[in-house]
Amino acid sequence: MDLECSRLLPALCAVLVDPRQPVADDTCLEKLLDWFKTVTEGESSLLLLQEHPCLVELLSHVLKLQDLSPGVLSFSLRVAGIFAAQENCFQYLQVGSLLFSQPGGAPGLRLLSAPPFFLSSPAPCPGAVDTIFSLQGDSSLFVASAASQLLVHILALSMRGGAKEQPCLQGDDWPTCAQKIMGHVEESLCSTVTPKVTQALNILTTTFGRCQSPWTEALWVRLSASVACLLERDPIPAAHSLVDLLLCVARSPVFGSSNGSLWEMVAQALSCLGPAHVGPLALGILKLEHCPQALRTQAFQVLLQPLACVLKATVQAPGPLGLLDGMADDAMMVDALLASKSSCAGLLCRTLAHLEELQPLPQRPSPWPQAPLLGAAVTVLRLCDGSATPVSSVGGHLCATLAGCVRVQRAALDFLGMLSQGTSPQELVTQALAVLLECLKSPGSSPTVLKKAFQATLRWLLSSPKTSSCSDLGPHIPQFLRELFLVLQKRLCSPCWEVRDSALEFLTQLSRHWGGEADFRCALLASEVPELAWQLLQDPESYVRASAVTATGQLSSWGLHDPTSPQHAVARQSLLRELLRILSADSEGFPRRAVMQVFTEWLRDGHADVTRDTEQFVATVLQVASRDLDWEVRVQGLELALVFLGQTLGPPHTHCPYAVALPEAAPARPLTEALRALCHVGLFDFAFRALFDCDRPVAQKSCDLLLFLRDKIASYNSLREASPNTDSVEAAPWRWRAHEQTQPQEDQEPEAVLAMLRSLDLEGLQSTLAESSDHVEKSPQSLLQDMLATGGFLQGDEADCY
Amino acid sequence: MCGTGFGHFRWLAEGGAGQDVGRSCILVSIAGKNVMLDCGMHMGFNDDRRFPDFSYITQNGRLTDFLDCVIISHFHLDHCGALPYFSEMVGYDGPIYMTHPTQAICPILLEDYRKIAVDKKGEANFFTSQMIKDCMKKVVAVHLHQTVQVDDELEIKAYYAGHVLGAAMFQIKVGSESVVYTGDYNMTPDRHLGAAWIDKCRPNLLITESTYATTIRDSKRCRERDFLKKVHETVERGGKVLIPVFALGRAQELCILLETFWERMNLKVPIYFSTGLTEKANHYYKLFIPWTNQKIRKTFVQRNMFEFKHIKAFDRAFADNPGPMVVFATPGMLHAGQSLQIFRKWAGNEKNMVIMPGYCVQGTVGHKILSGQRKLEMEGRQVLEVKMQVEYMSFSAHADAKGIMQLVGQAEPESVLLVHGEAKKMEFLKQKIEQELRVSCYMPANGETVTLPTSLSIPVGISLGLLKQEMAQGLLPEAKKPRLLHGTLIMKDSNFRLVSSEQALKELGLAEHQLRFTCRVHLHDTRKEQETALRVYSHLKSILKDHCVQHLPDGSVTVESILIQAAAPSEDPGTKVLLVSWTYQDEELGSFLTSLLKKGLPQALS
Repeated sequence: MDLECSRLLPALCAVLVDPRQPVADDTCLEKLLDWFKTVTEGESSLLLLQEHPCLVELLSHVLKLQDLSPGVLSFSLRVAGIFAAQENCFQYLQVGSLLFSQPGGAPGLRLLSAPPFFLSSPAPCPGAVDTIFSLQGDSSLFVASAASQLLVHILALSMRGGAKEQPCLQGDDWPTCAQKIMGHVEESLCSTVTPKVTQALNILTTTFGRCQSPWTEALWVRLSASVACLLERDPIPAAHSLVDLLLCVARSPVFGSSNGSLWEMVAQALSCLGPAHVGPLALGILKLEHCPQALRTQAFQVLLQPLACVLKATVQAPGPLGLLDGMADDAMMVDALLASKSSCAGLLCRTLAHLEELQPLPQRPSPWPQAPLLGAAVTVLRLCDGSATPVSSVGGHLCATLAGCVRVQRAALDFLGMLSQGTSPQELVTQALAVLLECLKSPGSSPTVLKKAFQATLRWLLSSPKTSSCSDLGPHIPQFLRELFLVLQKRLCSPCWEVRDSALEFLTQLSRHWGGEADFRCALLASEVPELAWQLLQDPESYVRASAVTATGQLSSWGLHDPTSPQHAVARQSLLRELLRILSADSEGFPRRAVMQVFTEWLRDGHADVTRDTEQFVATVLQVASRDLDWEVRVQGLELALVFLGQTLGPPHTHCPYAVALPEAAPARPLTEALRALCHVGLFDFAFRALFDCDRPVAQKSCDLLLFLRDKIASYNSLREASPNTDSVEAAPWRWRAHEQTQPQEDQEPEAVLAMLRSLDLEGLQSTLAESSDHVEKSPQSLLQDMLATGGFLQGDEADCY
Repeated sequence: MCGTGFGHFRWLAEGGAGQDVGRSCILVSIAGKNVMLDCGMHMGFNDDRRFPDFSYITQNGRLTDFLDCVIISHFHLDHCGALPYFSEMVGYDGPIYMTHPTQAICPILLEDYRKIAVDKKGEANFFTSQMIKDCMKKVVAVHLHQTVQVDDELEIKAYYAGHVLGAAMFQIKVGSESVVYTGDYNMTPDRHLGAAWIDKCRPNLLITESTYATTIRDSKRCRERDFLKKVHETVERGGKVLIPVFALGRAQELCILLETFWERMNLKVPIYFSTGLTEKANHYYKLFIPWTNQKIRKTFVQRNMFEFKHIKAFDRAFADNPGPMVVFATPGMLHAGQSLQIFRKWAGNEKNMVIMPGYCVQGTVGHKILSGQRKLEMEGRQVLEVKMQVEYMSFSAHADAKGIMQLVGQAEPESVLLVHGEAKKMEFLKQKIEQELRVSCYMPANGETVTLPTSLSIPVGISLGLLKQEMAQGLLPEAKKPRLLHGTLIMKDSNFRLVSSEQALKELGLAEHQLRFTCRVHLHDTRKEQETALRVYSHLKSILKDHCVQHLPDGSVTVESILIQAAAPSEDPGTKVLLVSWTYQDEELGSFLTSLLKKGLPQALS
């Protein structure tokens, strides 16, 4: 603890115990506690207590006060807990006497969570544990949760003390505390009150999750029968917690893969749990590394059941391969599908999400039924858009239930997108693309559904196999693209900005990957999509304008203007002009940021319009960006400047220690010429101004740029020839700081700029800027000062942030 | 039904002075549906604590499966700041409901806050601009008083809340159960917004903020006058006024105030707005004119209040200009950026003034100067001496105790749940509500669950056929007067319907069974059975004048479907037994006849 804080602490403690003194802000005590944690980690807690008797006074005083705020009381108890974690402090503070003298509250409980020696102290355990049992049912989630955690902690600590060498399977010789807790858990498991069962299961789950000592095996042996009994009840109580427990035990390394009784219980759970809970259990089992194959098969069947039922209800025999052919439907699952719209949607969404999660995992079941799953996803989507043909009464019911169900549509589209990662027969790929196209076409599709449909389509297109035939893309893709662009045209004109934006994002992504593919280019240019994207540069919604900027920028990078148009070159030129107009005139930040990103990309990739007169381009852009009020535009401006620097002076040095050091490439042009070019485009002016920007990220980026520049120049021999500093030159950068330099300097001399660069303590500035903008205000000293200053200042009734 | 706050209900420390800009986040479970109300952030923390602890709901499985929807009441960050984190990082993929202005304005404030987070280094785990956009694309914007069907069972409806542009109260309804969540609201109109209003929707539960639970607030006009006086005095003596604000909200309100004052007083001192967001913010205020108060709406045709004549965009070079000026600069708590830069320049001059129009969290320069600190440590161990005047003016627009009572009176809920308040004051209000309005009231602490039982009512449809039958009896329906209607209740496709028994049989494909009740009545009568039957006939004929009473040739008597036969038990010749039998349709008449006959036959006939 530094001296200043030591000096302030007694006064602060006095404020805390004075009920008349308010505490400034509800975050202050939390931050103070954080500070105590840091301090006690760094130095001896006992010494701290001895050197600051005010702390001991605070802790003993708070317990005597009647009208102390719960906040301060809770804080004090937690501070006591932090110190009591050390045995010597525990004795020093005589913490035992503090415990349980206060009514309820999680913070007080935390006191117990640290010290193992607490349990060895004779008095508190039996009464304390009873109190914690009762707090498990507290109406506060935080207290209840803390009580449960604490019981686990006490159990683990007492077991660690009692069974060091060998696991005592009988439990008779377990420590009293552990026996008491176990007795409580056993009793709760047999209770008919569901919350009690839940509490017991949660304690066990936390125990098996946290403790991997051999005694946990003995614990399971003792309790598994009671847990198994839960599965016999109808309905099964606390099913969600039961699933968590079973999975947690199954994951615990303490239990070998040969634990037959556990797997039997899991198998039983799979067959008797309701559809809402069996899915997570099945998924959890399939994610296990070691588990009997029969159980995996059973779990996978459980996961597939709902989709199998959907397929069966809609596929005409003899149709394509189904899922789980020849197996009877699970009655409970069919009931859930038919019971109500929300139950059906819930079950299907969960199933699809579970399978989506499983699909990319290495431990997913093999063989993976890719084709039937794809068929099922397509069928679910068809049921949602009303185009499925039911072949049974269940199918008819599903048609009615799922028609227009956005929730299921979204889940199915996510799953369908994920399935693109596997190999599927061409026929099914065509079907998947067809259903996606339907979804994109459907006038009833909601914006969120369309977004997912675009994402899934993108995934399918990008993963579609390329053939060796004359066509660039797969044989069916060109036709698909033609239809797709017709839909895209429609969606780009949607009245919903969300849809227009998703369509533009899709266009950008697709052209980024396929801009060079002849089929794609041909289909795109035959459509009105490029023109519509262009028109959206004027969209009333700024998000859409920004996406339109990115999309048109991307299309332009690939030269995707109508090649037959005589205005081809004119169009390209006018795009540059249009983007410059947006950069200087758009009232909102997003489009301007997007323009800067496009320009940076163009400069980096050598876009034709940029290379025509790069210096002029950079000069214009930097001039506009330097005036921008949006900090990200200015940061982007510096990024563009950095690219230009790299192109003028050579790329940045790589510092990879394993890279083979190549001889320095010869600089593109002589230093003086290069510097003159930098001066000409106003780069120095922009960078120096940005160095003193009120927005920290801008200043930091500029500092990095100038450091790079300085290092780069240092590699030129001519640096030594630079003229020596003069006072006027040294003073120049500070003019930017004082904002006197409002007009860019056109005719800076490279030598003067170099001298200015050398006069700056860029390293010092860099380390200052690397600090958080509030590092002074958030220091412990500042916190203590603030808390002291608040006393007496604030009046009531001003709770006011907004 | 139960509600759980797993973020901070904005409740204050005991003693009356603790202030909090906590996270509003309430989970309501109603008839099996789970709805999250608001998703706020805490600006006082830089770590995970700034967001609500969602682990309490993620432990229930996948968020999108567990939650049916999220509702955001208004654009303030303590109500919506955690939304992109929740939807794009924690993984909620379901619908988010808010009003149109809130949807338009939310991203501006989220971007504003993102910048602050970027400024503070080490701010990992923070959302990006793309995430903000993706989050906003999940939003379903709603109109006031529009009933929005979230799914087949869950519907929501927005009501005007005042407070800030686009703020709304929401009614959430599942079947016959409903909850109203007020968010922050204001029951008195202010300079640019109207007063909150809700209809008599009689929800099971009203969740209301209670920031000013015990206060009757002074008129906002007084605070406004005070503000204008201070600004005017400062510029008159040649000083500069700095007003740190967040990009949107309070800034626009104060701009209207100054603009009108400048116009009236014909002042020439420049007013600047430094954020670069002025145009955008004002654009939204113009766009959502219907959400402002009556006065602004009325004068809109002649002059739009948000088109400012005197307020110009600020360039950072202006800060060094000599002479007086007024500058609105972001951010609002003087913790970084332009407002802090200007503050540093102007702090040393006692002629200048800084007006803080909102609360500042600890860890900001704003907090320091508001708590009276005058020597501030700055970067690089520099010390800044604050000589300029520092003023704090609360312009917050929350309902006071009177307003809260008024709203409870308007909505007539079964129960009230108080959130967003200081425990002691909430206790006072709770008693007031319980005593004066006779409504049960709860005030859960953060993380506490309140469970309210509700009486279940099941809607039942009535078939047209049955209604026609009833009409055919000539009884016209009367409003407000309950009527007894007989029919058969059938449950089909999870729906209840009351239909005629014939229709029920037909729909359910059942064969009809006849059910007859029989009863024996013993009579003292020494005559023969035929005579007894005749006496019964005469007796009934005289009493039941409206019914068809017949004496059949076989000696039995019928009244409608009721059949009465007399028999003589062999063991007692002085007693006759009447066998009475009737169909269940005539049960009422059957019971009546039985009880009549049990009284015996009249003497005159004997």
